[in-house]
Amino acid sequence: MGFFLRRLSFYFIALLFAATLNFIIPRAMPGDPVTMMFANATFEVTPERIAAMKELLGFVDGPLYEQFFIYIKSVLTWDLGISVQFFPLSVNTVLGNAVGWSLFLAGTAVLFSFTLGSILGIFAAWRRGSKFDTIVSPGMLVIQAVPQVVTAMLLLFIFSITLRWFPTSYAYTAGVTPDWTSWTFLKDVAYHAALPLLGASIVQIGGFLIAMRNNMINLLGEDYITMAKGKGLSENRIVFNYAARNAMLPSVTALSMSLGMAIGGQMIIEIIFNYPGLGTVLLNAINARDYQVLQGQLLVMTLFMLFFNLLADMLYVLLDPRLRKGA
Amino acid sequence: MFANFKKTKITALVLAVSATLAPQVAIAEKSELVIHPKEFPTLIRNFNPFLTTSNLHTTADFIYEPLVIFNEMKGNEPVFRLATGFEMAKDLLSVTFDIREGVKWSDGEKFTADDVVYTFNLIKAKKGLDFSGANKVVTSVKKINEYKVEFKLSEPNSNAPYDIVKVPVVPQHVWSKIDKPEEFLNENPVGSGPFTAIETFTPTLYVQCTESTYWDSANLDVDCLKVPQIANNDQFLAKAINSEIDWSSNFIPDIDKTYASKNPHHKYWLTPAGTQSFVINFKNPDAAKNEALTNVDFRRAFSMAIDRQTIIDIAFYGAGVKNDFASGLGYAFESWSDEAVHNKYKKFNTYNVEGAKALLAKAGFKDINDDGFVETPSGKSFVLEIQSPNGWSDFNNTVQLAVENLEEVGIQAKARTPDFAVYNKAMQDATYDVAYTNYFHGSDPHKYWNSAYNSKFQTSASPRFAMHHWKNEKVDSLLNSFYKTADKAEQVKIAHQIQAIIAADQVTIPVMSGLNNYQYNTSRFTGWWNEKNPQGRPMSFSGIPERLLQVLDLKPVK
Repeated sequence: MGFFLRRLSFYFIALLFAATLNFIIPRAMPGDPVTMMFANATFEVTPERIAAMKELLGFVDGPLYEQFFIYIKSVLTWDLGISVQFFPLSVNTVLGNAVGWSLFLAGTAVLFSFTLGSILGIFAAWRRGSKFDTIVSPGMLVIQAVPQVVTAMLLLFIFSITLRWFPTSYAYTAGVTPDWTSWTFLKDVAYHAALPLLGASIVQIGGFLIAMRNNMINLLGEDYITMAKGKGLSENRIVFNYAARNAMLPSVTALSMSLGMAIGGQMIIEIIFNYPGLGTVLLNAINARDYQVLQGQLLVMTLFMLFFNLLADMLYVLLDPRLRKGA
Repeated sequence: MFANFKKTKITALVLAVSATLAPQVAIAEKSELVIHPKEFPTLIRNFNPFLTTSNLHTTADFIYEPLVIFNEMKGNEPVFRLATGFEMAKDLLSVTFDIREGVKWSDGEKFTADDVVYTFNLIKAKKGLDFSGANKVVTSVKKINEYKVEFKLSEPNSNAPYDIVKVPVVPQHVWSKIDKPEEFLNENPVGSGPFTAIETFTPTLYVQCTESTYWDSANLDVDCLKVPQIANNDQFLAKAINSEIDWSSNFIPDIDKTYASKNPHHKYWLTPAGTQSFVINFKNPDAAKNEALTNVDFRRAFSMAIDRQTIIDIAFYGAGVKNDFASGLGYAFESWSDEAVHNKYKKFNTYNVEGAKALLAKAGFKDINDDGFVETPSGKSFVLEIQSPNGWSDFNNTVQLAVENLEEVGIQAKARTPDFAVYNKAMQDATYDVAYTNYFHGSDPHKYWNSAYNSKFQTSASPRFAMHHWKNEKVDSLLNSFYKTADKAEQVKIAHQIQAIIAADQVTIPVMSGLNNYQYNTSRFTGWWNEKNPQGRPMSFSGIPERLLQVLDLKPVK
């Protein structure tokens, strides 16, 4: 119990700290939303027009501490304010429209690469030094080392532009009204998600593979594995029930962290494939100096990160009896 | 059994195919014009005509038709739309508009003077809705009769009708019931323009079509506007090259090769746009730079060092016209120019390396420390930083070329490409050295000169255009008096005086007059405006009311 309380109070302080940073960072950037809005204006920008715009958006040039208290209040009441760029939509609506696509894209990519990476890692460790291990393990690391921008652009160029097998943008065909009960629509979504998913997954597999492989190799030298072998247990049983189960522990943290990050969206992938997720929202909010959306987005990212960290902590307790006794 | 299964499968397939095809066939009978007015990260269903920074850019003109369209290319010649005429009072203190009879809102209600009066009172009451600054021009509005409205003006202003028609007139019977018009998304607009029915709306595409209520439907052959979501210029290029867009106004690098050569239906036409200049900071905090930049001979030498034609050819792919007017006026406004003044200072705005060196030497700028670059007359060395906003690639290349030009005559300079916000702030705070910027174009030189030289635009809330921080009371008062007369000869006289003062001081360093981008596709529609049919400004974006007139000229290809 003490363990949980200690963790919880830590997370609360971390949240407050992160919320403060969320407030400071956007304001440390030069420029303000109204200036950015008129940056490329094709019409005359008179002081009257700027004044009208500020009035419309409800800009208060109050002292910073006042703005800060308003902000903290909005965080606690989950009233994140109104977007400047998409006025008069609320931040909740703007983020709400994008969060589903990001969770779907990034979440699926993480789970897929975790599953595939871990299984490949188990085999690579069990048959360490084999042809499979010598090709797949370094191969995946090489792919991981290539910046995501490059892999994503290559995928887009080869499969969408040159071969025209996949679409170049959108989450589903432009002009189609989403109908989640229709099989055709789901297929359309899958078709549009294929390349972004591949781009988001392929670079993550290597990390999970190597983590799993290394843990396994450490464990395979343990006495209880020798004992299990000596008892004459089947190979499958040794690999999955004895070795892999214990080797999972550090990988669970990695998975949890990745899921926490996933909510931030796959920014690069989303922008290259014009996918309507949170990453695209974040970049646009930065460009437009849309403080409210930026703050909201960063806050959601923080909360997710902390939540999945907490989840990892709790899973540890479940998976590792030593922690339960320690508490 | 297997045979049965196959049959049902085929039947189902046929049914499915016909089901998906059926509505498409219905749509295909209508002519759809694919227009790209603006980049959006996602489409939000917002047709509120007052929220010009967040609404969809087919709202103005196409849903809310203007009273009058002033055709800028033809010297602001009025084309009467929802109004049939207007009359200025002799003292220029009021103007009366005649409203067209027989115009209907898209819900069938009559369009009358009441709607006009309601709209102008609305933007008086809700100042945030006054995006065009009409409140400053109009003090009150009065209904004379069902089809006549009188506007009282705040000062004598011959340009008032132009400002008045920028305000979109909305239906009183709908908007008076809206609680907060400033937060109203107007998802199903009741409008007066040609395309008021939103037939399809998704975050990636929308289609708005014409309705039988439209007053000028006899002249309209386009049934619908189709607007795909495009997030940035790269995505636009991919679609344009694929012939997916009929009408756009984007920058296409090396347009002949990348666009026009790909398809015989791909066409473009470049029309005159505003002056582009180097702006000099007259309030530089650095003593050495201040000494140089406030010296008129130095500014002239700077201007003589610039190889304008090379900049146009390389940075703008040839799309531009040299501007050698010390006043920045440009050849598009030659009829307003005092040619004696233009010719007197022309040599200072023409590429001449030796002349620039000689002028620098004469003004006391010499290379004392033998580094190859001149020092100020008082012996201080300096390096000018020339800024242009990050990502504005034609501007960045211009600055890069200018830096090479300047070094050739012995002026040490560096190119800087800060983020737009940083660039803009430095200009407002007068902490920059030199910046490159574009300016507005208008039907007369007032729009450019006023935004570029009127010192009332040098406050911290103003845009970048007048941020040389040079002030001249005579110029200010001349600019403010420009529209106090409706007499063109009088205005030309004022223009000549303004030109003389600015040119004598070489306040900015004009480089070129830009050109507006405009691309059209003749595979689905004909009748486009182009160099053989120059009816007006042809751009597709919001802020160009002439785009409505062009749509009325288009005919679908059968």
